[in-house]
Amino acid sequence: MLVGLPLDNQTSATMSADENDKLCHWLNVVANDRCRQSFTRLFNHFAPRLRSYALKQFGNEAQAMELVQDTMTNVWQKAYLFNADKGAASTWIFTIARNIRFDMLRKQQSRKEDICSEDLWPVLFEQTADPKALSMEHNITLEQVEQYFESLPQKQKDVLEAIYFEGKSQQEVADELGVPLGTVKSRTRLGLQRLKEMLNEQD
Amino acid sequence: MSKINFHPDHSHLLAFATGEGQPGTNLMVSAHLDLCPMCREKVREIEAQQAHSEIEIAALDMMPGNYAAMLNSIMAKPLVADDVIGASYPKTIELDGRHFALPRTLQRYVHKTGNWSRLVGKLWQAPVDLGGVGSAHFIYMEKGGRVPEHTHRGSELTLVLDGEFSDGLNHYETGDMTFLDGRHQHTPMSDADEGCLVFSLVDKPLHFTSGLARLLNPFSHLFMK
Ligand SMILES: [Zn+2]
Repeated sequence: MLVGLPLDNQTSATMSADENDKLCHWLNVVANDRCRQSFTRLFNHFAPRLRSYALKQFGNEAQAMELVQDTMTNVWQKAYLFNADKGAASTWIFTIARNIRFDMLRKQQSRKEDICSEDLWPVLFEQTADPKALSMEHNITLEQVEQYFESLPQKQKDVLEAIYFEGKSQQEVADELGVPLGTVKSRTRLGLQRLKEMLNEQD
Repeated sequence: MSKINFHPDHSHLLAFATGEGQPGTNLMVSAHLDLCPMCREKVREIEAQQAHSEIEIAALDMMPGNYAAMLNSIMAKPLVADDVIGASYPKTIELDGRHFALPRTLQRYVHKTGNWSRLVGKLWQAPVDLGGVGSAHFIYMEKGGRVPEHTHRGSELTLVLDGEFSDGLNHYETGDMTFLDGRHQHTPMSDADEGCLVFSLVDKPLHFTSGLARLLNPFSHLFMK
């Protein structure tokens, strides 16, 4: 969901500093002492709020609750990574939820790309990448294209030159050469086809 | 470091911070943030605003979720050991004996980068496999190296990683990020003695607009795959 205008600072400031201090304190106690009571308080505060956020994102209860569970699991296990100097407790938890949402959507849409949340937002820590084989690509230099081009029959070259170098239309070329439009079209097609074959053979 | 003049605009940063942006664009923004403290600060502010509007003041309904069971199952989980931290990736990319430092975001893709090949004249490129988000390359322009004039059918995102270049529209230095689409026609070239390394992401093949390079258009899907 995109918000059109950034909230002004006064709105942000309405969350009391006391409230944030309390949340930060609980996070610290969870980090240091595995305090179940503090975590329960954090959970009671954040779980319904995260559910509200998640429902907006996914529109269904099951996925919303999955996001709540994964986010709060990270809070329980990684509270020691929270740094109160860097921002509010709720901001930290929001960024965790945003990352989990991103990865859930990625899985759901079975997107092919390999960009995961930790690449973009290292809120928690770097994950181990599965090393993949180097991808080899073939590339064509202009010099090669020029060579191939030179090897085309003269009539095809003339047509391609007029169209691609001089920017003429096929009709203009036909008028100029005094040949039917169909002939220009077929010379263009044959020339490009031949070039394509030569480029493919290069593999 | 040189002063950065070209930044992602607010909509890019907002889309990044909310996670709504395109993955490829987000990756570019992320690499720019590695180089740009100013935009990092802006993103931090947007995240705080989002946390406020989406989490802090969220409307809470009375629907009883199955929270008790969830809470207990979470607290039954063990601590995660730290030993997963810091998968290490190469910090640099090499071309012809020169090592270029990469922003953190791109280090993970060194292993997914193919061989360097000469494109035209003084231009080199190495493809980066992002797994299906457009077409990504490291491109290195030697001094005087020039990309044939082209327009974009889709969008082209470029981040300057080392050195500087001009494209007939503007002059770009390390850290600058540019976003171009079909409305722009440009001829990137570098006059810097040390050349210029950029990371480039195009979502559709380039469209060359001049001379011999136009011959490449019918094949640009091969060329810039
Ligand atoms: Zn910036």
